[in-house]
Amino acid sequence: MASRTPPPQDIETATVASVEPAATAAAASAAPGAVLVEVRDLIKHYGAVHAVDDVTFDVRAGEVHALVGENGAGKSTVAKMLAGAVSSTSGSITVDGSPLAGGSVRDARKAGVTCAFQELALVPDWTVAENLRLPDGAPLKGFSQKKATAAARELLAGLELAHIDPAAPVSTLSLADRQQVEIARAIAAKPKVLILDEASSALAPPGVQWLFRRIRELTATGSSVIYVSHRLGELAEIADRGTVLRDGRVAGSFVRGSWTDDQLISMMAGREATRHFPSAPPLSSTAPHPALDVENLVSSGVDGVTFRVEAGEILGVGGLQGHGQAELLRALFGAAPARADRWSIAGKHIRRLSPVSAVRHGAGYVPEDRKREGLALGLGVGENLVTPWLRTFGLGGRPLLASQGGWIKNVLASLSVRTRGPLEHAGALSGGNQQKLVFGRWTDRDRKLVLLHDPTRGIDVRAKQELYDAIIELSRQGVGVVWFSTEVEELVHVCHRVLVLYRGGIADELQGDRLTADAVVGAAVGAKTR
Amino acid sequence: MTATVTPPPTIPPVQKRAQGGLRGFWNAQPVVRLRREGAMPPLAAFLVFFVVYVIINPELLTRFQLQTASNLVVPLAFAALAQLLIVLVGGIDISIGAIMSLSNVVFATAMVSLPVPLAILAGLATGLVCGLFNGFLVAFGKLPAIAVTLASAFIIGSISREVMDRPGGGITEQFYLATSGELFPYMPVSLFWLILAAVGLWLLLQRTALGRHIYGVGSNVESVRAAGLNARGAQLAAFALSGVVAALGAIMLAGSTLTGDPRSGDPYLLNSIAAVALAGASFAGGKGSILGTILAACTLGLVGNLLFFAGINSYWQYVIAALIVISVVGIPVISRQISTAVRGIKA
Repeated sequence: MASRTPPPQDIETATVASVEPAATAAAASAAPGAVLVEVRDLIKHYGAVHAVDDVTFDVRAGEVHALVGENGAGKSTVAKMLAGAVSSTSGSITVDGSPLAGGSVRDARKAGVTCAFQELALVPDWTVAENLRLPDGAPLKGFSQKKATAAARELLAGLELAHIDPAAPVSTLSLADRQQVEIARAIAAKPKVLILDEASSALAPPGVQWLFRRIRELTATGSSVIYVSHRLGELAEIADRGTVLRDGRVAGSFVRGSWTDDQLISMMAGREATRHFPSAPPLSSTAPHPALDVENLVSSGVDGVTFRVEAGEILGVGGLQGHGQAELLRALFGAAPARADRWSIAGKHIRRLSPVSAVRHGAGYVPEDRKREGLALGLGVGENLVTPWLRTFGLGGRPLLASQGGWIKNVLASLSVRTRGPLEHAGALSGGNQQKLVFGRWTDRDRKLVLLHDPTRGIDVRAKQELYDAIIELSRQGVGVVWFSTEVEELVHVCHRVLVLYRGGIADELQGDRLTADAVVGAAVGAKTR
Repeated sequence: MTATVTPPPTIPPVQKRAQGGLRGFWNAQPVVRLRREGAMPPLAAFLVFFVVYVIINPELLTRFQLQTASNLVVPLAFAALAQLLIVLVGGIDISIGAIMSLSNVVFATAMVSLPVPLAILAGLATGLVCGLFNGFLVAFGKLPAIAVTLASAFIIGSISREVMDRPGGGITEQFYLATSGELFPYMPVSLFWLILAAVGLWLLLQRTALGRHIYGVGSNVESVRAAGLNARGAQLAAFALSGVVAALGAIMLAGSTLTGDPRSGDPYLLNSIAAVALAGASFAGGKGSILGTILAACTLGLVGNLLFFAGINSYWQYVIAALIVISVVGIPVISRQISTAVRGIKA
């Protein structure tokens, strides 16, 4: 990202209307100037909460229109109203000249609007083929598994997804594969408007390139893509125009090449903010033992991995999805059976590990899926924070929250969790704030080793910055951090050292001058093996 | 499976296709589906049970005993299928027994004055109305299924006592022969009707979009809705269908006992739940097989008979049934845990 510095021009911060004549979007050649989607005065209230407050923008035929903003800015709600999953309080949406009634995904599909949702909308017990084929059929029609599987195989092959087995239930696929199937389903309907709501959040760089190829195919036919994302690097590459939302309102708009990361971020945040990666603090190994030391660790999907994490060191783990990163972290936390020739956490020798004993030895873990593995969404913010520290015969409920009140308050404040307090349901928080809860459990608790599974996935820029700072703070306190991220920039800038996994083994270890984005990606695709 | 599609060159062949012999059979698509739906343990349990039964009581394979055993098991199999439909959409039906009782007495009463087809229709319509009542409250009222069906169990139970307060009705000998006699030697009619209904239900669940929607709703309602499908409609359909299947069971029961009885459905409530549990269905919804459910119902339905022939006090019937359920449900779970542990150590 550092290599790409477009000339700093003024960003249009006025209304959208003033931008329109000046737009020089390159891909709008299919039908220049033709407005495909018109969103006018869109409003959505949830009770007293104004999720979307008077949003107006246009999308032209053949363009990729980015919708950016922090979490809670209302982009997902706008996307859902366009897709028909949520009905608007007032305002109008017009697609290709005819108004979209709203409130029905089926009607939106018929009008040519499909959406790949952020919260994956695939049915876990259906096969890939069923997920791809069923939404288009009438309920009382026959359904042939064989035909559906064959059709799905053809569809997947046409979209360069031949590695996904159409007969496999979706629940057995990796997160990245599921996301690609979801995108494939939205594309398969041959939409006039495709909405991608954080659709790249689980995709590794090659997956993102795959997505971009699909987007370009689609826009070449005159369809438009509404691209919702936090990843500024992706926007620079794919977005022709964009609308920035803040607190449910349009904060501004931009066209290709006329913006810089910092300008966009300040527009999203409503304040002068820069996207910067804090660098890791210098290592001062005063601790007598390394935080983690494993030799020849084997587990299902992990094939003899040897490495060491010093106290206070931030060790990045890179690689493509499904090359053993998730399995490695699970094994290190005792969540999957594993064995090693030598294995110690902070000097304590380990023979077998379970999550309970891992916590006792001083380890912490932020799992992949915050909603399913990380939090009890129906319980309160405070209760979710103290989960690892509950005792079987200890206090519960309000007395527990009172006795832990000081710590809870500190964690919420130090991570700036935006919540109404420890009693609010964890499910009511935005994704970034939920992630802070999962992370916050392990702060200030005398941890030796914290394992992070892509903690910044699908959360907004501000929350990301706050998490980076919190990770740095852990490192300052002498906690060893093992951090798997799908965002290469994070690994390159924030980590002391990066291990790149390939097919369950360590493909390369990058440090110092060798630690560059190209090197990480290169090792991840198996270009270099040690 | 499809020889025309060449696998992508870069990806190592993950799926093992086109194998012969036992392994090929084990990985064939329909068998994979049965395995995924949890039908293998109840299938194995039934085979073992059947062999034990025949060893203890070889007389089972005589015409008379086959007929009585089948008449005993078939209403339970229908009840279990009705329960399965509700469990598939993630609910549980406490009113199954009451629906059976009401359909049973409505049918028996109607037989007194109406021609047989109309009486059957009256019985089925009763089940349908009960199912729709539950279904509307669950799918559109968004109430929890257990609360709705518990309440309707009381209501429907009272209505059936109102319709007929003591056993009776006008079921004829011909109707007994048509439901519980013999189609041809060694083939009880009741089994024939059960197979017919099961095949129809299987076609509906596995070969129509609506059937897949029913599975999908149990798996994840939000996803089904986000895909633009009518999730509530699928839920309602499952409840309505379940009512009809329960009514079929009630009519079979009336035929085999030659009476209508306002309490006849009561024993089927817990047994239907036990059969669905034994069938390996997921009570969270989205997983369960018809074949497994029928075999589970046959196993549980014959435990009492087996103990009688083995000369054991029939009070032990429930203990044995419980042990079968726990071991069949438990053994796969435990063996999976052991195998992953072993694999972890070996690796």
